Amino acid sequence: MKVEELLSQSGEWLKGTGPESDVVISSRVRLARNLHRFPFLTVATPQVRAEVEKFVRPRLEEGKLPRKLVYWSLGELSSVERALLVERHLISKEHEKADGDRGVAVGADEAISIMVNEEDHLRLQVIRSGLQLDEAYEEIDRMDTALEGSLNFAFSPQFGYLTACPTNVGTGLRISVMMHLPAAALSKQMEKVLQSLQRLNYTVRGFYGEGTQPLGDFYQVSNQITMGKSERDIISELKKVIPEILKFERSWRHKLIDDEPRKLEDRVWRAYGILKHARRITSEEATDLLSALRLGLTMNVITGIPHKVLNELFIFTQPAHLQKIERKILDPEERDAVRAEFIRRRLEGL
Amino acid sequence: MNCEKCHKNHATIHLTAIEGGMKKEAHLCDECARQTGVHLKFNFSISDLLGGLMEPTTKTPKVNQVRCPECGITYSEFKTKARLGCANDYEVFRSELLRLLEKIHGSTQHAGKTPHTVDAQVRKENELIRLKRDLESVVKSEDFEKAAEIRDRIKTIELELNR
Repeated sequence: MKVEELLSQSGEWLKGTGPESDVVISSRVRLARNLHRFPFLTVATPQVRAEVEKFVRPRLEEGKLPRKLVYWSLGELSSVERALLVERHLISKEHEKADGDRGVAVGADEAISIMVNEEDHLRLQVIRSGLQLDEAYEEIDRMDTALEGSLNFAFSPQFGYLTACPTNVGTGLRISVMMHLPAAALSKQMEKVLQSLQRLNYTVRGFYGEGTQPLGDFYQVSNQITMGKSERDIISELKKVIPEILKFERSWRHKLIDDEPRKLEDRVWRAYGILKHARRITSEEATDLLSALRLGLTMNVITGIPHKVLNELFIFTQPAHLQKIERKILDPEERDAVRAEFIRRRLEGL
Repeated sequence: MNCEKCHKNHATIHLTAIEGGMKKEAHLCDECARQTGVHLKFNFSISDLLGGLMEPTTKTPKVNQVRCPECGITYSEFKTKARLGCANDYEVFRSELLRLLEKIHGSTQHAGKTPHTVDAQVRKENELIRLKRDLESVVKSEDFEKAAEIRDRIKTIELELNR
């Protein structure tokens, strides 16, 4: 499979059909693993990086794993293709920008991906649509166990899986639940949510992970603690926290429609109007308007737009996607025009 | 010559370094050398040690200069980058990391998944202990045929563990 072929499909997690999908976009689990006897990437020479990739790649490509994976060496991809993988949430921004031998192995439905030579030798991730933490963990656990058959991971009985950064050591498990919280944000309640989550040792990040700003009212809630608890405990604790946020967001959504139905309707339909007719639109504006439209859809202020179409628009209107669709490098102004046209076409006839 | 640090014991370790064209010397007793961490390192930079010794009021604790013999990073480099250099660092910087992990995770003991390869190794090590105990008792009871059998099994496991 070529990176280009990603354009003819969208990730399983964008279906928008999972549990609690009115608020929860996706559940993501990540495991950090390092190879025994290889230095971490912090100090790895170009030769060591090459050796790690050469050692790992065939083992990711072999057929015995629970999922068939396609491997891309990032050095062999164009910068637009690398950016496209970031927009797809298949690799991190750091992995895109880094130097040296590195890559990613991806499953056909994009539910699983394994970065090679990122901060750790291996970073496994599984993304599922909606709130599906157990399912996502079971899948990543199966892959991890299968990989143990051919790779010897750095592990200590006391410290667990050894990682380059001590914030990941132990289970190496980071769970992130991506949520759409427009009502809490609109009602200026996010500060409260963020504070209480921080007190419980959870971090909140934006749409594209570490260091990114919340865009379109999407927030990623992740566990901070990776050691001293089992994987199951980390998951079940998060499973207690998430419903509280859902309840909170939903109650503010109801308040919006009870107190100021016209204001909400106006916001949603205006967004729809602009998206349907604009001739130029920036990525930020599109994300904001799509976020309003998504809120309107979940509250039946507007109907007839499938969740999948809407979720895909968030991804396909990002710069690298547009450039890959158009098959050429576009400057920001050209992109705004192409983006507006792309959105108009998708919303046509719905 | 008495030790420069404690001024009590006889200095048995003499270090010399040229720094910026200046010759620096340090003369220490065994005890003080151990306390400064000389025994800890294999490729310890002498000028680092001298720097640490000659500026007893320095804010940087000596532990910051402990260097991992495998990946070569020091604890202070780790603190700057916030990333470790290799798995061995967890042992080299053990006591500092234990404090750090307690702060980050509220725990210093892994409680999650164990790779089955590790499980298998632990099982083998346990079997080895058991077999060696068995061997002693069959030798005592002069069952040499059985002893030979156990000895073969021990050899096989030892080979597997060393692989």
